[in-house]
Amino acid sequence: MISQPSDKHADIRYLSLAARATIALCLLFGIASFPTAIHAAGPEYSLNTSSASPRTVEDTTAASIERDYAHAWKSLVAALEANRAELLTENFTGTARQRWQQAIDIQRQNGLSRRIVDHGHSLRVIFYSLDGSSLQLEDVADLEIEYRDGGKVLSSEHIKSRYLVLLTPAENSWKIRILEELPPS
Amino acid sequence: MNLLKRGIVFAMLLAPVLCSAQLSIAGPVQAGAGAMLQAPGSGSATLYLFGPTGAIKRSVQRGTIAILGDDLKLAGRYTAILDGSSASFYVTAAPLARISFIARPSRVPAAASGAVLGSAFLFDRYQNLVLAPTPVTFRLGTDAATGEDRYSNSHNGVAWVQLNSGRSSGPAQFIASAGDVSVRRVVQQVAADPCAIRMNATRAADGSILVETAPIQDCSGNAVPDGTIVTFTSVDRAGRSTVDARIKRGFARAELPASSGATLSVAAGVVMGNEIHWGGGQ
Repeated sequence: MISQPSDKHADIRYLSLAARATIALCLLFGIASFPTAIHAAGPEYSLNTSSASPRTVEDTTAASIERDYAHAWKSLVAALEANRAELLTENFTGTARQRWQQAIDIQRQNGLSRRIVDHGHSLRVIFYSLDGSSLQLEDVADLEIEYRDGGKVLSSEHIKSRYLVLLTPAENSWKIRILEELPPS
Repeated sequence: MNLLKRGIVFAMLLAPVLCSAQLSIAGPVQAGAGAMLQAPGSGSATLYLFGPTGAIKRSVQRGTIAILGDDLKLAGRYTAILDGSSASFYVTAAPLARISFIARPSRVPAAASGAVLGSAFLFDRYQNLVLAPTPVTFRLGTDAATGEDRYSNSHNGVAWVQLNSGRSSGPAQFIASAGDVSVRRVVQQVAADPCAIRMNATRAADGSILVETAPIQDCSGNAVPDGTIVTFTSVDRAGRSTVDARIKRGFARAELPASSGATLSVAAGVVMGNEIHWGGGQ
């Protein structure tokens, strides 16, 4: 079938309109997703190794610690919100894994959860054993915490929490062995 | 009447605020000891407790609410919530009950400087780090009479030490103790590299050269372990002959090819022994 010139013009007009609508939608979604993109950058981590003792922390070790500790917190935040203890398997070990998994199980059994918005961590290495088998950190974390019963928010707070952390090296990453929150100094 | 209605509404609005403002707990609380939460008013309410042990939900009567020690075993921050109001408190470690002691290495040469490392982590009975500075004694020795003691104060629940290994070979007890708690590890001290190797040579009946060392010891007088390789070398006009022999009962011996004139040498690892110029009537 051969289309008439007037039909062709109509087609072009529809195509042009569709293209404009697509561009407008892309712009709309692009703008709408902009804050999400910033949020996806995640919390900031700063690591100070100047007080490490008795062994100094090499640059590559510092980078690994920062990376692995950030992963651990990401998994803890997700696990506490979704009540999924198994999320801690990769980045936690020993006492810390056992404790937090148990805490999440109890929380889940009671239908409760915690939603944490993590705004960042200021880390300071305070002990690094001579044989490199353990490293202790002090972490000042900037956190917003919502305490929930099912879907209901019971209470919320924005706090600077101080944590004492013990990390031990595993095959190819550092894992959290102790994560204890401390009273403010 | 209008005034009464306003008063009732005002009281209804204010009541939760007044109740919630005074939810309190005396702190800090020791792990496992339990605590008393003060919630003014009367009647029943739902108490929530979030912390490192988990999150619990319980119907309680306002007033003095007992929180059991089992719910406060772990050190850290707890948040109690009652009718929308919250109070946070910290649980700190109970007294020292256990030491986790990491000793490295498990096998070390005798008289090696700074070769033995120990890190002691101090815990209470609930596996919380004991953060109060605590004196820790480290001891390394092969018996009660000899050995080295070192004292250190823990920081953030950790104390560490770096020691020289002892001069005599054998199993050394490496002990970390704090208060009544003590942990023992065994560090096997072995002879270090040979200090000096002396050998002598004799002619065998078939003309070959028999070489034998004196007892091989490290610089502290410990016998170098049997099985350690000792290399005997003979260099003469025909070339070089090398024989590897293992130390057996403190000595190493080997048979080198017959030669009318040769330079004989002995070595173990990086340590060279004496040289013998073999020839003529020797």
